[in-house]
Amino acid sequence: MRQLGLGLAVAAAGFAMALQTARADEELPIGVIAAQSGSFVSAGNTIVGAANLAAQQINDAGGIKVGDKTYKIKLYIRDNRTDVNVTIAAARELVNDIGVKAIWGTETHDFSVSMAKITGPAKVLQFSGNSSLGAVLDDKAVADDGWLHYAFQSEPQEWQRSGSTAKGVLSLLTPQLKSPPKHSVVFVGNDATGQYLSSHYVKALEAEGQKVDLVQYPPDTTDFSPLLTRIKGMKPDIVHFWYNGDSTLTAFPQALKLGVAPSYFLFGVDPGIYQERSLKADVPVTLSCVPVCWGSSPYPEVKQYFEKYFGLGAAKGPQSSVSLLYYDYFFWYAKALEKVGKLDDPDAVVAELLKSDYKGVVSPVPLVFNKHHQVTFATEVCMVEPNTSDQFKCAVEQPPAAPPPGDNGG
Amino acid sequence: MPVTDNSAGKTGAATGRTRASHRLALLTADNASVPLPASVQAITAILLAVLLIALPWLGLGYRFLSIAITTLYTAIGLYGLGLQFGQAGIMSVGHAALMGVGAYASAILSVQLGLGFWTSLPFAMALSAIVGGVIGLPTLRVGGQHYIIITFCFCALFVIVLTNGGTFTGSATGLDVGSVTPLPGINFDKLSNNYYLVLAALFLALAATYLIGISRYGRTLRAIRENEQLARSVGINVDLHKLGVLMVSGLFAGLAGVLQLYYLRHISPTLFGAFPSLYLALMVMLGGARYLYGPLIGAVIVNFLPEVLNLDPVDSRIAYGICLLLVILLLPGGVGAGIKNVYCALTGGSGTQTQGGGSNGRA
Repeated sequence: MRQLGLGLAVAAAGFAMALQTARADEELPIGVIAAQSGSFVSAGNTIVGAANLAAQQINDAGGIKVGDKTYKIKLYIRDNRTDVNVTIAAARELVNDIGVKAIWGTETHDFSVSMAKITGPAKVLQFSGNSSLGAVLDDKAVADDGWLHYAFQSEPQEWQRSGSTAKGVLSLLTPQLKSPPKHSVVFVGNDATGQYLSSHYVKALEAEGQKVDLVQYPPDTTDFSPLLTRIKGMKPDIVHFWYNGDSTLTAFPQALKLGVAPSYFLFGVDPGIYQERSLKADVPVTLSCVPVCWGSSPYPEVKQYFEKYFGLGAAKGPQSSVSLLYYDYFFWYAKALEKVGKLDDPDAVVAELLKSDYKGVVSPVPLVFNKHHQVTFATEVCMVEPNTSDQFKCAVEQPPAAPPPGDNGG
Repeated sequence: MPVTDNSAGKTGAATGRTRASHRLALLTADNASVPLPASVQAITAILLAVLLIALPWLGLGYRFLSIAITTLYTAIGLYGLGLQFGQAGIMSVGHAALMGVGAYASAILSVQLGLGFWTSLPFAMALSAIVGGVIGLPTLRVGGQHYIIITFCFCALFVIVLTNGGTFTGSATGLDVGSVTPLPGINFDKLSNNYYLVLAALFLALAATYLIGISRYGRTLRAIRENEQLARSVGINVDLHKLGVLMVSGLFAGLAGVLQLYYLRHISPTLFGAFPSLYLALMVMLGGARYLYGPLIGAVIVNFLPEVLNLDPVDSRIAYGICLLLVILLLPGGVGAGIKNVYCALTGGSGTQTQGGGSNGRA
């Protein structure tokens, strides 16, 4: 009887130890809010793709060691249906019902701003890849008691992206034209992102010596021919199809048919898409990717990343490279958590992110957040040889050191 | 050998068909003006109020509560649309823009003059009412589809003005505001408190709609809706009443817009464009513009259907389209009419009398 009791005690102890081991890997709840349906689905899906890949890699590598515990990332992915009300409801659910420690998303400026008003008071970190957040990320907003203290902009400031893009486009196109280009027309969608992005890009082009005209089209335009005809009458040297890539893919063939300009620049159209769609122009065309191209990347790390990214079933689209605005920050956040050693000290994690750097896939130079919680990295610009769909010449342009005259940064 | 009475069978089948068609007629009739017993009205109101008040305590989660808030402020806007469409027969497909007038007025007052929720609310509502009246001026000369086109144009114009309004309107990026100014002991940053704020506004909208419905003013509006020329011939100032109801509708829209602004705390032009306006028109038709709870029912269907059935936006639009077709074909009075008809069918009350009932018959 006594032996039986001893045996039971040993068995119970063994069971408890097994239970302890099973509990050693705890869950780190992380939220992702992205448009998996609706009009922003092509950008939204990239966030989900990047999050799945990053979480899988971190978990496969053993998880995140915080203090004496190891955590495996548990993703809570919510489709915002490209609707601000659903975004808010999802953010409330993730923050208050589930208790996530950080949220990745969204793809839209308006939604990210509304979300930050929920994540901020709850001290939940938010990583959003909208350069337009620069309009609200200032000293007061990111202060310890500011409403954006826990928000991070995972895309460079727009004057940086615009500056590197303008420089790259002009340096690739100038040798291809009979005379140096002097007159640019920026063709852009007239919505929040389009307005914000073009306000910086126009100044970046002007800083490069261009005379610039801005032509805006209403969002959801499908027939661009009246506006393109007007642009043709302006006799530009380069037409810059600025934000957004999806509309550009509709407008660009119309421009080619009309013979609007002797050269073009297509923002956010990956060489991979250009090739897949068999686009062809008899004039030089430049392309840029946000931030680096999946169709023609100079970095082996980026090539490996996209092999794995598409290997998980992510679709190849004009905005697939946007996933790189979100991927690295999972690893950086994990690194910061390990350094802080506590899961429930978001202020310490914010401080650690601000003083640390991280060498990720998106940039060969380690990523650093500035005092306004924004990163800096280069932009890749490619040129397609005329009359080809698959001959690309690519260059990586570093951002300028300071905003151009008339641009107040942000 | 059994004897079969075929004629009796035929008669029975015919009677069955008659009963079936009678039941169908009962269920599909528009009986907005058929009065329900006062006790039924009171019990319905109390049950609904208790349910809505208890909602945050049911443990349904923050996501549910967030969508409930969206539903309630949308319903407030719909009550305005319900009044002008259901009572006066003036349909608008630009109602979101009228909500936008209220929202932007409040946001601009906050950004430019530092006015908070409570102080900017009356100005915003008043401005929405005035704009509602101004848009309504053409209805004095044209009506029906012409007014619908005018409201659609206003909606498009409003978005263009906001998008190109520079820092004053925040352009396409929009404007930000802070939290609702707290009342003593009540912090509206707490989601349940925000819910009760919007719910209180909904109760006001419901009460106002009910009172208008049973008032002489409501009867006059219905007279105009049914026969404008006849109403004019008996001395009703049709123009004044039309403008009046559009301004009242504007008041509701302004209130809804300000509540929306302080819930989202960030607004941009896309929230008040053609698409949201069409959704409002859809909601009011689905729910039933002539029924007291019709706009609320419409808002609940459109806001919760994608949640409950996990529909993406494309599927949702298909579902709304099918719902609208079904409503037009089977329930011209909307789902509100259907619910009332079911009640009438179950209790043996008359559900086929479509007009001429008491003015307090809005169920």
